[in-house]
Amino acid sequence: MADDMITEGMLDMFIFETEQGLENLENICLESKDVGEFDDDHVNGIFRIMHTIKGASAVMMYQNITTLSHKLEDVFYYIRESHPEEIPHAELLDYIFEVSDFIAGELEKIKEGAESDGNADNLIEQLDKYLKKIQGKGGGDAASAQKAAAPEQTSAPAEKPHFYIAPVASDASRFYTIDITYAKDTDMANIKAYIAVNALKGIAEDILFTPADIISNPDSSNVIMEFGFKIALQTVEEADHIMELVSNAGSGIEHVEINECTSEDFIAFCTEVESPISSAGEVLTAPVEQPTVRVETQKPKSIVLTDEEQEKEAEKDAAPAAKKAPVKKKPPAKKGETQSFISVNIKKMDLLMNLIGELVIAQAVVLQNPDLKVPGLDLTNFQKAAMQLSKITSELQDAIMAMRMMPLKNTFQKMNRIVYDTSKKLGKDIELEVIGEDTEVDKNIIEHISDPLMHMIRNSVDHGIESNEDRQAAGKTEKGKIVLEAKNEGGQVWISVADNGKGLRREEILAKAKANGLLGNRSEKDLSDKEVYNFITLPGFSTKKKVTEYSGRGVGMDVVVKSIQDVGGVLDIESEEGLGSTMTMKIPLTLAIIDGIIFSVSGTNFVAETNGVTEFIRGSKDHLVVEPDGEEYFMIREDCYPLIRLNRFYHLENGKDELEDGIVIILNHEDRKIAVFVDELVGEQEIVVKPMPGYIKQVRGISGCTQLGDGSISLILDSGGLLSY
Amino acid sequence: MAEEKLDAQDFDVDDPMAVEREEPKKRFMTFRSSSEIYGISLDNVHEIIGLQQYTSVPETEDYIMGLINLRGKVIPIIDVRIRFGKEPLEYNDRTSVIVIQVKDTVIGLIVDGIEGVVDIREKEILPPPSVSSLKSQAQKYVFGIGKVNSEVKLLLDPEKLIYDVDEENISEEEEED
Repeated sequence: MADDMITEGMLDMFIFETEQGLENLENICLESKDVGEFDDDHVNGIFRIMHTIKGASAVMMYQNITTLSHKLEDVFYYIRESHPEEIPHAELLDYIFEVSDFIAGELEKIKEGAESDGNADNLIEQLDKYLKKIQGKGGGDAASAQKAAAPEQTSAPAEKPHFYIAPVASDASRFYTIDITYAKDTDMANIKAYIAVNALKGIAEDILFTPADIISNPDSSNVIMEFGFKIALQTVEEADHIMELVSNAGSGIEHVEINECTSEDFIAFCTEVESPISSAGEVLTAPVEQPTVRVETQKPKSIVLTDEEQEKEAEKDAAPAAKKAPVKKKPPAKKGETQSFISVNIKKMDLLMNLIGELVIAQAVVLQNPDLKVPGLDLTNFQKAAMQLSKITSELQDAIMAMRMMPLKNTFQKMNRIVYDTSKKLGKDIELEVIGEDTEVDKNIIEHISDPLMHMIRNSVDHGIESNEDRQAAGKTEKGKIVLEAKNEGGQVWISVADNGKGLRREEILAKAKANGLLGNRSEKDLSDKEVYNFITLPGFSTKKKVTEYSGRGVGMDVVVKSIQDVGGVLDIESEEGLGSTMTMKIPLTLAIIDGIIFSVSGTNFVAETNGVTEFIRGSKDHLVVEPDGEEYFMIREDCYPLIRLNRFYHLENGKDELEDGIVIILNHEDRKIAVFVDELVGEQEIVVKPMPGYIKQVRGISGCTQLGDGSISLILDSGGLLSY
Repeated sequence: MAEEKLDAQDFDVDDPMAVEREEPKKRFMTFRSSSEIYGISLDNVHEIIGLQQYTSVPETEDYIMGLINLRGKVIPIIDVRIRFGKEPLEYNDRTSVIVIQVKDTVIGLIVDGIEGVVDIREKEILPPPSVSSLKSQAQKYVFGIGKVNSEVKLLLDPEKLIYDVDEENISEEEEED
């Protein structure tokens, strides 16, 4: 692999593309697992992915990946061409996953700089057997089976002489032939041609080229040098765009000629390339020259196909892919892909975000500068400029936040695989429904919730949903189902995992909690369901009697809760015995910058998150209810909230004592409320949350600190923390 | 603080290697707290700043005065007098904060005043006297006594100073790592 021509960039690209391919592969498989068979789109998709991986790994000279992906490609080639009647689907899925895992494993090795030394022989052998098996069964379609199998065998060590990506027709499609001539002294023109083909794949609905064996046959380089490299392309893109792509794809290109042609020419080209070719020599003579000549004569045609041509189009679809599934989704999806992306080191993003955080503070320092408070100063122009500045910084903030936002899609898709693997091993029949996978969350948060989510899903599969027999015994007719849902809910993202399993058993949890001495002096009846369910999030708590591979060790839910708390979220558990349970992660959209309300108590400034503040009330003695044990409650509009006097709570001196002198802030956390008595309100500001220095031990009710407009430090009051005392 | 850094420059010896061979020396920042003069290894000292407005943090140890904002970084400050069990002194113009770093912890020490930087020959650093001879709590944090001319400086172990005495053993173990 350590060849001079392989540059770092190519390796990165190879890894990136292959990983994406594998991801798509798994998605296709999981999509189809419930259907029990692959439809034509799936078959073509998998074929294409394996082909790309095979080609790319051959260029990078990872022999093991190449042969393995080649074998799987063979299997799908056969399925696509011969449509064997019986395909043991589950078995096939397993093989695909094994292949995917193998390649992913090799990629890991490559990424770490190690040799890709995995041995896939065993797997290849199994795939061989599998292929034989379905070939044996596909007897009904003997002729085509033979036709398809023939090239398989001849091509075993090298590339198949031709490949053909099933065309996807769309009305806006145009057909082009592209002739690329390379400069005389170009080395390895076949590799360069391959780069060009790769560049076009992104926009291609269908692409064919000749000579077709550019990857496997180094001699094809000579052929290209002599006769040029010819591509037939079906796409919705303009010729200009194609020209740009081709010109940028590799050096040494001397001349590119792009001609728009009719679909007939295109088909003609296809059939010529499709026709079995045994050696590269044959390709370069008659068959190729002919269509290109014809193209010269027949100049660009209108985009709208005539009836006749549409028929041809339909025929063409029917020919290679037999019963082509109705064309769907493909063209709009392609359009989405034309967006250009740039990948940036996450460290640079973090730096930018920190700097913007500092900028927000610095802006507050300037705009609230005490120097401006001289009486009689005319600040009209200053205020105007200040307003403009504020607007820009807040837009800047939104922009960096949006940049860091990523859809949950990838995370959710991983869960598909987990449900599949786990439920299969446990012998349960479970389907996963995913809702709102396009919901976007800060990248940092995604990293933090991936593991907890995985754990929750496993929990649901393992503990939540009963075995098939138990379900029947319980009279449940519907299939075991897990619903994974994400949605935005007022500055938060709620991600819930709901199952229709047996639910949490209050009694069982209580018994276990009692045994572990967690109840304290509270009686069982005092505890709300929520409080009982929260016991399962304590370390070492598991009601699962048997420890399995997946869960039941009692380490888990506490770790889940810890991870969620790390990103400032909470876990909400709802359950109904016999009907299932729902666990919801409620996580703030972003971590860094929040709106805060500043208030002071005996000269110390505190900040509370604006979202957590319900209202401010100027209280009086009438509102106060004092219990015999000294606990105070604040009564307003028939509601009664526990009252915390912050000065007493933190033993601060010189705080105000009379309710009339200060102000009461009602804070809410989840659905609980608490009244906090403070001296006075100071103001409102966007604050950048900073953690407390590690040297200072955890202080109850304080979650961090921040810098105020005057440069001083303020402590962030955490209503959740206050409520737990 | 810029001046202080200059002070440090003044003590620069022509050729450190030569000195090294002759008599190994160590460099200390010395400061006053109550009646004693203490020294802390210059390796740990980041900078010296005047005392600025700080935010007290409730429910922490009494010697942790609060948090200050040092160019956007939040660092805790501790009062060395209270840490050593002495009576606190009203802060004045001479009160300074020595910002030190011990491993990853950056912390400010509030001291009565800065003395300067001194080089102390290693052989002039004596082990601390037995418990009885030094009555203050401070002796727990002193790892040696340095003699410069006829003056005596109590050399502080910054690690012991900022971590709790109870954790002394732990921090020592960490040191060996």
